[in-house]
Amino acid sequence: MIVVGELSLWIALLLAVWSATVSFAGGRGRRHDLIESGERATYGAFAFTALASAGLWYALFTRDFSLSYVASQISANMPNVYIFTSFWSGQAGSMLFWCVILAMFAAIAVWTNRERNRDLMPWTTGTLATVLAFFLATTAFKANPFERLDWLPVDGRGMNPQLQNPGMAVHPPNLYLGYVATTVPFAFAIGALLARRIDTDWLAAVRRWSLVSWLFLTIGITLGMWWAYVELGWGGYWAWDPVENSSFLPWLTGTAFLHSIMIQEKRGMLRKWNIILVVATFLLSILGTFITRSGIIESVHSFAQSPVGPWFAWFLAVVTAITAWLVLTRLKDLEAKAALESMVSREAAFLYNNLLLVGIAFSVLWGTFFPILSEAVRGTKITVGPPFFNTVNIPLGLLLLGLTGVGPLIAWRKASLSNLRRQFLGPVLTGLAVAGVLLALGMRNGYALTSYLLAAFVAATIVQEFAKGVGARRSLHGERLVPAFVHLVARNRRRYGGYIVHAGIVMLFAAFAGMGFKRETDTSLSAGQSLTTKDPWGAEWRFVSQGVSTNRSLNREITAVALETWRNGEYMGLIKSEKRQYFDSQRRPTFDPSTEVGIRTDARQDVYVVLAGVRDDAAEIRVAFNPLVVWVWVGSAIMAIGGLIVMWPQAERRRQAGYAAELQPAPEFAGVA
Amino acid sequence: MISRRSFVAGGGALLVLSVRRSGHASFIPPAQQRDSSNLFAMDQAAARSVRLPAKPGASPSMSVDERDALEHRIRCQCGCTLDVFTCRTTDFSCQVSPAMHRDIMALVQGGYNAAEISDAFVRTYGEAALMAPPRTGFNIVGYVVPGIVIAIGAVVLVAVIRGMGRQRATPSGSATISDATPEEQARLDAALKDDA
Repeated sequence: MIVVGELSLWIALLLAVWSATVSFAGGRGRRHDLIESGERATYGAFAFTALASAGLWYALFTRDFSLSYVASQISANMPNVYIFTSFWSGQAGSMLFWCVILAMFAAIAVWTNRERNRDLMPWTTGTLATVLAFFLATTAFKANPFERLDWLPVDGRGMNPQLQNPGMAVHPPNLYLGYVATTVPFAFAIGALLARRIDTDWLAAVRRWSLVSWLFLTIGITLGMWWAYVELGWGGYWAWDPVENSSFLPWLTGTAFLHSIMIQEKRGMLRKWNIILVVATFLLSILGTFITRSGIIESVHSFAQSPVGPWFAWFLAVVTAITAWLVLTRLKDLEAKAALESMVSREAAFLYNNLLLVGIAFSVLWGTFFPILSEAVRGTKITVGPPFFNTVNIPLGLLLLGLTGVGPLIAWRKASLSNLRRQFLGPVLTGLAVAGVLLALGMRNGYALTSYLLAAFVAATIVQEFAKGVGARRSLHGERLVPAFVHLVARNRRRYGGYIVHAGIVMLFAAFAGMGFKRETDTSLSAGQSLTTKDPWGAEWRFVSQGVSTNRSLNREITAVALETWRNGEYMGLIKSEKRQYFDSQRRPTFDPSTEVGIRTDARQDVYVVLAGVRDDAAEIRVAFNPLVVWVWVGSAIMAIGGLIVMWPQAERRRQAGYAAELQPAPEFAGVA
Repeated sequence: MISRRSFVAGGGALLVLSVRRSGHASFIPPAQQRDSSNLFAMDQAAARSVRLPAKPGASPSMSVDERDALEHRIRCQCGCTLDVFTCRTTDFSCQVSPAMHRDIMALVQGGYNAAEISDAFVRTYGEAALMAPPRTGFNIVGYVVPGIVIAIGAVVLVAVIRGMGRQRATPSGSATISDATPEEQARLDAALKDDA
């Protein structure tokens, strides 16, 4: 089976090369036999990549330590669930995992367009196959998971304990699905440019794929944040680490595209910009992969330095050059079909939104690479950590939050003063009222106050929009509140799904601002000793140590401390934190000890307890109060639900009805319809 | 034009060669392996002494909270990318952050203020000792470039929007959607009316 898997990898590579060759040739010569052969080869490449993946899983589950990848990723005593996830825990396996997802998406894209976009498809298929061939070639030649060792070790090294976490079972697949899905819109954009069919048809084809990518990136990034929070033990969920940044970059440009695509759909504008955003999103996902896999930038998450880095660098350079050439030679075809009429309009608001999203993406990219630039210019190594990114990005993020409320309410074409007053008076007053109350309660953190002011403003705009829509349905159809709400969302999923996403964003910002009030203390407690401290809400907490205990499990030795907790004298239960030392089947320690954090969650805060170590039977612990953390996960879940609603298929007939309000056409357009 | 047969034959040859070429990897015993997973390997020998003689008549220069805040601005050198406070209170197996913490405590006891302690760490470890680059010299470029780029983007955006507006105001440009097809025109109006 392992030999079959390895052979399948090579056959998949050949099929991808064949698909790329004949698809481009078929597109150029309008040869249907070649085009169909290319499409069949794409299906074949998927089948063989899947077979190669099955081969690697077989090697992992049979603990075949003759394979270098198996010996370096698992040990004989590891639970099967982590044997399964070890497929993507290392460099070579994760490359194959990327390949199988890409091959699957390519096959789906080709299959779902077998009767649509036929002018584009040869070029699109060719582009997809080219990218697939690159990844398969990189895997086969530079990171081959089927590489064998000179001899057979008794046991493998085992998986890094911090990866033995449920979050790691689901975070990488979601992130990879998001990264890889950016390839399909990119392929359609290149297909449209090559075929010179740069109308709105290609947009329809890429919109759903862009949403798929955005949705998986959102889920993947959130799961990564959750894993970092519960597993790494440093007490936060986002550290502006280069690898975290590299997942955030395509999310930002993808989000910008999902907004600007609306302007092209409705007004025929931003055609060059949308192509650039689609390509940039793809390139940033490849850049992220390059950062993670090349070892070029220091990161807690990156794979060890490996030979795949130069391959990715070349690929990035070539794709950028080809795309730039394609765009520059087709500028005339990309002229806008309409002009912006006012700086105070929904189109303009979307452009400001794009400016900020791309601006944040630039600042994140700049900060990520600035250490390299600094070292090249001055020969001095520097660290660009959270203080830098927070300084640069918090103001931009707050501006973006404000625009989240402005964009959906402002009129298309040109907003009048009365339109602005009618739409914004209530939300602005709500925001000011919330900020006033918080100020009166003693909040003096400027960023937090601005965050809550803007969050309240945006939340009020969302509530206002839903209230209008539900009210209209109730008066028109006599529906009750809940059915009116459900029908309102169901009949215009793009609009109201988008509002739900915005509601999730509001929650995230409110939760991020809450971390500005984090409190933490470190202490040493023997059995029976206690720590008394106050949380950011003013409540007094008491932690009493129950002492340190040790026990052994399948592949680890656990040292734990349990703390009984009281808040203002009320018993709140037991919080336990652990240190784990993993070992292999020969009982040799593998890796450094890892931390299992004790967390007590409620709506107001997480009580976060970390056992740093044990000295003379006393537990060295850190207790942190992290306000509003649960709302990060709730907000992200709401964003994902909103994204699902937006991308859920909707018949055109049904989508026509159900809008909350109608726009009065601008005077000069009144007679056009 | 390459034929299918020659393509497959050439590919087959490549396949055979490549399978042979992939050969065997040399085995590195587990304990010596550089991490091939995606988490960092700790450098336990990274700590260096940052000690200065105490100032005459020195007393502690800051409170514990202020010292913790300072430790949040100094980076642990073990490779974890965390600050000293967070690393030492998270991972007891790290020997670097406790050593840096001891140095900070000694400097605080010696009467040195936060800026002097930061400078002492920069002299020993370089600017990489700080969680963010100091705002001096070339580092200023790092802080201002994102703002400048966004400002330029905003200026260009405003200029483009105003240019479009002026274009519309002229008689020749009055039909801003003149090059749209009738179908596109109808779709535009329907969409705008629909999605206010």
